[in-house]
Amino acid sequence: MIRLVPNHADRIRRTAEVTFHFDGTTLPGCEGETLIAALMRAGVLHLRNAPHDGAPRGGFCAMGLCQECMVRVDGQVVEACRVTVTPGLQVARL
Amino acid sequence: MSYDIAIIGGGIMGCATALRLAAGGMRPIVLDQGDLGQGASGVNAGTLSLQIKRVKLMPYALKGHHLWEEMGTAVGFAKTGGYTLAFTDREVDLLHERQTMKREAGAPITFVSNNALRAAEPGLTHAVKAASYCPEDGYANSALTGQYYRGKLQDAGIAYRERTPVTGIDRVDGYELQTPAGPVRAARVLLAAGAWLKPLAALMDVDLPVNARINTVSVTERMPAMMSHVIGHATGLLTMKQKANGTVLIGGGWQGKGTPQQGRGEVDVAAVKPNLALAQYALPALGTARVLRSWTGFEANVPDFYPLAGTLPGFDDAFVLGCVRGGYTIGPSIGQLMGDLILGRSPEMPLFDPGRSFEEDRP
Amino acid sequence: MTAADVDIAVLGAGPAGSTAALAAAQAGLRVALLDEQDAPGGQVWRAKSAAILSAPHTPESKAGAALRQAVADSSIMLHPATRVWQIARTGDGWQIDTLRDGATDSLTATRLIIASGAREVVQPLPGWTTPGVIGLAGATALFKQNLTVPGARTVVAGTGPLVFYVASEIRRLGGTVAAVVTPNTRRDWAGSLPAMLGKPALVARGALWVADLMLSGVPVLWGHQVTAVEGDTRVSRITAQSVTGASTHNFAADSLCLGNGLMPQVEAAQMLGVPLHHDAALGGWVPACSDDGVTPVAGLYLCGDGTGIRGADAAVHHGRLCGLRAAADAGCTSGHAMDIARRNWRRAARFGLAMTALSRPTPALAQLASDDTIICRCESLTRRDILAEIGSGATSTNAVKSGLRAGMGPCGGKYCQTSVARLIAAETGVTEGAVPPPTPRPPLRPVPVAAAAGQFDYDDLPIPKPAPL
Ligand SMILES: Cc1cc2nc3c(=O)[nH]c(=O)nc-3n(C[C@H](O)[C@@H](O)[C@H](O)COP(=O)(O)OP(=O)(O)OC[C@H]3O[C@@H](n4cnc5c(N)ncnc54)[C@H](O)[C@@H]3O)c2cc1C
Ligand SMILES: Cc1cc2nc3c(=O)[nH]c(=O)nc-3n(C[C@H](O)[C@H](O)[C@H](O)COP(=O)(O)OP(=O)(O)OC[C@H]3O[C@@H](n4cnc5c(N)ncnc54)[C@H](O)[C@@H]3O)c2cc1C
Ligand code: FES
Repeated sequence: MIRLVPNHADRIRRTAEVTFHFDGTTLPGCEGETLIAALMRAGVLHLRNAPHDGAPRGGFCAMGLCQECMVRVDGQVVEACRVTVTPGLQVARL
Repeated sequence: MSYDIAIIGGGIMGCATALRLAAGGMRPIVLDQGDLGQGASGVNAGTLSLQIKRVKLMPYALKGHHLWEEMGTAVGFAKTGGYTLAFTDREVDLLHERQTMKREAGAPITFVSNNALRAAEPGLTHAVKAASYCPEDGYANSALTGQYYRGKLQDAGIAYRERTPVTGIDRVDGYELQTPAGPVRAARVLLAAGAWLKPLAALMDVDLPVNARINTVSVTERMPAMMSHVIGHATGLLTMKQKANGTVLIGGGWQGKGTPQQGRGEVDVAAVKPNLALAQYALPALGTARVLRSWTGFEANVPDFYPLAGTLPGFDDAFVLGCVRGGYTIGPSIGQLMGDLILGRSPEMPLFDPGRSFEEDRP
Repeated sequence: MTAADVDIAVLGAGPAGSTAALAAAQAGLRVALLDEQDAPGGQVWRAKSAAILSAPHTPESKAGAALRQAVADSSIMLHPATRVWQIARTGDGWQIDTLRDGATDSLTATRLIIASGAREVVQPLPGWTTPGVIGLAGATALFKQNLTVPGARTVVAGTGPLVFYVASEIRRLGGTVAAVVTPNTRRDWAGSLPAMLGKPALVARGALWVADLMLSGVPVLWGHQVTAVEGDTRVSRITAQSVTGASTHNFAADSLCLGNGLMPQVEAAQMLGVPLHHDAALGGWVPACSDDGVTPVAGLYLCGDGTGIRGADAAVHHGRLCGLRAAADAGCTSGHAMDIARRNWRRAARFGLAMTALSRPTPALAQLASDDTIICRCESLTRRDILAEIGSGATSTNAVKSGLRAGMGPCGGKYCQTSVARLIAAETGVTEGAVPPPTPRPPLRPVPVAAAAGQFDYDDLPIPKPAPL
C-alpha cells in the first residue's frame, strides 16, 4: 500500500522499560514518560468512576485541566497526564 | 401595574420577607441587580451554628434553626451538631466565657471532654485543649439559596426581576424605581440590599452607616469521610464542615480585598493561606485535599453590629432590613418578623430600629 | 514597596509567551517565564518527555527545539513545571503564587504578560465520556510528549484542520485510523482557500495528509458527524451520520479523538479585572486588549491564543509585539520592530482565523446531545438536568452553577460552561454573547491544602479582636 505519511514507530527510541503498579496490577512503562501514556499503551483507559452514576472515566484533555484522569499517588490526588513514570511507582484508583 | 411593595435585593432577607408579605396578602415585587441569592446569601459558609451567634440575637437564631429544619434538603440542611475548639490557654478561657453566656441565652451548649471529642471526631488533632458542643448546630448549602427562593417566589406568585439594578428611587404617589428595564411602581419599598445598602439608601437621601467586611471561603475536592460535625474555633477564625458529597468547606471570616462599591471582591492569598493552615492544623488529613475554589462575599454591618430592621428614618412607608450578624442563620426568622411589621402586625420579637444611635452596644 | 523580583513575568511558555519573554529580555529587562509544562513550547510545540531518547523530527518538534534553545540562550529566568495558581496585585506590581513539585512559592513582577493559550471545545454527544474518547487537540499533546497513540484503532472526528493532522500523526506513530469524520464539507474548505494561500507550506502539508488517507483507503467522511459512542470501560463502536442524516456508518474502534475547535483561556485575565466580550470568530469570550496586548488593567498585558484563536504563527508575532510593548512601557524602546511584528501578526492571523472559522462547532453538533447525555463531566449532570434547571428560572451560568454544581467540580467548569451557556441561550432565546461565563474563582489550578498553607506555626496566627458577643 502506498504511504505518503511514513510509519515512524520503529524509529522511536525510549528509555528502558520499568514497571509500576496501578491498583494492584503491575504494568510496564518507560521511565520518564507521562503516566497516562504508559497506561494507554498498557490498554488501561478506565482510570476512575464518576461521582453519582459511577460510570467509568478516563483521560480526556491530556493537558492537565479536565481532571478526568485523577489518580492517587502517595496519598495525593494528581492528574495522570501530569505524572511521570518512575520504577515502582504506586498508583491507586480514587 | 403598581405593586404593594418593591423589595430591592433578592438575598435571603429580601426573599424571606417577600414570602411573609405575600402570605399576609400583599403583592410584592423583588428586584435584584444580579441573580437571586448571588450576594452574601449565595456565597456564605452556610454554618448554622448557635455557638457563633451573638448573645442578644440568640432567640432569633433559635427560631431560625427551626425554620431551616423545615426547609430541609431543598437547601441542603444538615443538623450535624458542632464542636468549637480551643488550642491555647487563652482560647480555653475565651471558649468558657463566651459559650457560657450563649448557653445562658438559650443555646444548648455543653463542654465536652477530650475523650468524648476524640470519639466523635477521631480525625481532629490531639492538640485540642478544650471543646464545646451544641447538638443544634449544622449547615445548609448557601449555593442553593437562589434556586430555593426562586422556586418559593414562583410558588407564591411573587413577581421578581433578576439582573435589574435599581438606580433611582422617586416619590410619586408611592415610589417609582428606576431600572435599565424601565420604571417599577410600588406603594412601599423595602431596602434589602445587603452590603449595598448605603448607596441604595443614599438614593432616598438617607445616610446609613453601613460598612462591609469581605469574608473568604474555600472549598476542596471530594474527600473520603473525614469529619461528621461542623467544626469551629474559639476565636471564630475557622469554620469547616464536610458536605455529604465529600467536599470540605473552610471559612472563618478571613478578609479579602475590595469594596461592594467596586463591585467585586478579590481573594487575598495572604489570608487564604493561614485559613487553610489552621484547618489543616485542626484536621491533619485535610493536607492532601486540593482546594478547588476560594471566593469572597460582602457581609454588611453597622457600628454596633446589630441588625437594621425597621422603618427607614424619616419614612413610614419605606423599610430596611440588613446588617444581621450571622444573617444566613437568622435570615428566615427575621424576614418573617420584618414581614409582620410591614403588614402592620406586631412582630413576635422586637426588631432593630434603623434610626437608633449606633454608638452604644444596645439596640 | 520593595523592588519586584523581576521587571516582567510571563505566564505561559508557548509560542506567544516565550517570544514575548525573549523580546523583553533582549531589550535588557529581567524576565521570568513560567509554565506548568516541563519545558517551553506550549501546546503546539510541546516538548517530548524524558522517556523519548530519539525520534524523527517533525515541523513542530523542530520549531519547539529552536524555541527552547533560544530561551536557554537568553537571560530569561525559566520556571518550568511551575503551575501558577493565583495572581494578585501588590503595590503597583504583581504577586504570582506558584506550585512546583508539591510546594508553593511566589514571585513578584512589575509587569505581567499572560499568554495562557487555549483549551479545547468538545460538543457533548451520547457516549463521549467513555474511556478512550479524548480531545482532538489533547491527542496532539499525547503524540508530541509521549509519541503514543490512544488505541489500536481510532476514529478521528471533529471540525477544522486538526482532524487531518491527528489522523496522519496516528498513522505516523504506528496506529490505525478507522475513519476520519468531519462535519466540514470540501466546499467549506474551498471557501477558506483565499486565506490559506498565504501559507502555501501548510496547505501542501494538509493536502499530503488528506492524500495519504485516501491512498491508504481510510474512509474520510466529509459532511458527517459522530453521533454516538458505545463501550463500557472503553470505546468499542462508533456511529457516524451525514449531517443531513441521510447515511449512517458504524465503525469498530477502541478510541475516538473528538474536538470542535478551541476557546481562549481567559480566567486569569478575567480574575484580574479585564472585561470580556463575545466574538465567535475568535473562539468565544475574549478579553479586552489592544493589538499590542495592552489591557485596561495597568501593568497587565495579554498575547497569543488566550486573546482569540489565531493560531501558532500569529501567537509568535503577537508575543513579540506584546513583549516589545511591555518593554517599551518599561522604558526600552525598539524602533520599528513593533511595526514589523504587528504587520506579521496581522498576516498570520488571517490564516489562523480561517482555521478557527472551519473549527467552529456547527449548529447541528449542538443537537447531538440527548437528554441523557452528560454535559458537566465532573458532576455527571445530563442535558436533562441542565434544561430542568434553566426551566425553573436559572437563566445565567452563575445560577445554573449555584443550583446544580455545573462548574463547581474539579475542572472548574472549563469543559461545561460553553455547553451550559449555549443551552441557556437557546432556551431563553438570546445570543451566546448575552450569556457570559460564570464568575471565575481562584485557584487557577487545584492546589493541595498542605502546599497552599506552607510552613505554619500556630503561634504566628494573627488573632483578631474577638467578635462582638
Ligand atoms: C491541547 C492543544 C493542542 C494543540 N495543538 C496544536 C497543533 O498541533 N497545531 C496547531 O497549529 N495548534 C495547536 N493548538 C492551538 C494552540 O492554541 C496554538 O495556536 C498555540 O500553541 C498557541 O500559542 P500560545 O503561546 O498562545 O498558547 P499555548 O501554546 O497554549 O501556551 C500557553 C502555555 O501556558 C501554560 N499555562 C497556562 N496556564 C497556566 C498556569 N496557570 N500555570 C502555568 N502554566 C500555564 C500552558 O502550559 C502552555 O504551555 C493546540 C491547542 C491545544 C489546547
Ligand atoms: C463569605 C461569607 C460567609 C458567611 N458565613 C455565614 C455563616 O456561615 N453563617 C451565617 O449565618 N451567616 C454567614 N454570613 C452572613 C450572611 O451571609 C449574611 O448576613 C446574609 O446572607 C445577608 O443577606 P442579605 O439578604 O442581607 O444580603 P445579600 O445576600 O447580599 O443580598 C443583597 C442583594 O441585594 C442586591 N442589590 C444590591 N444593590 C442593589 C440595587 N441597587 N438594585 C437591585 N439589587 C441590589 C444584591 O445583588 C444582593 O443579591 C456570611 C457572609 C459572607 C459574606
Ligand atoms: S486528561 Fe484532563 S487533566 Fe489529565
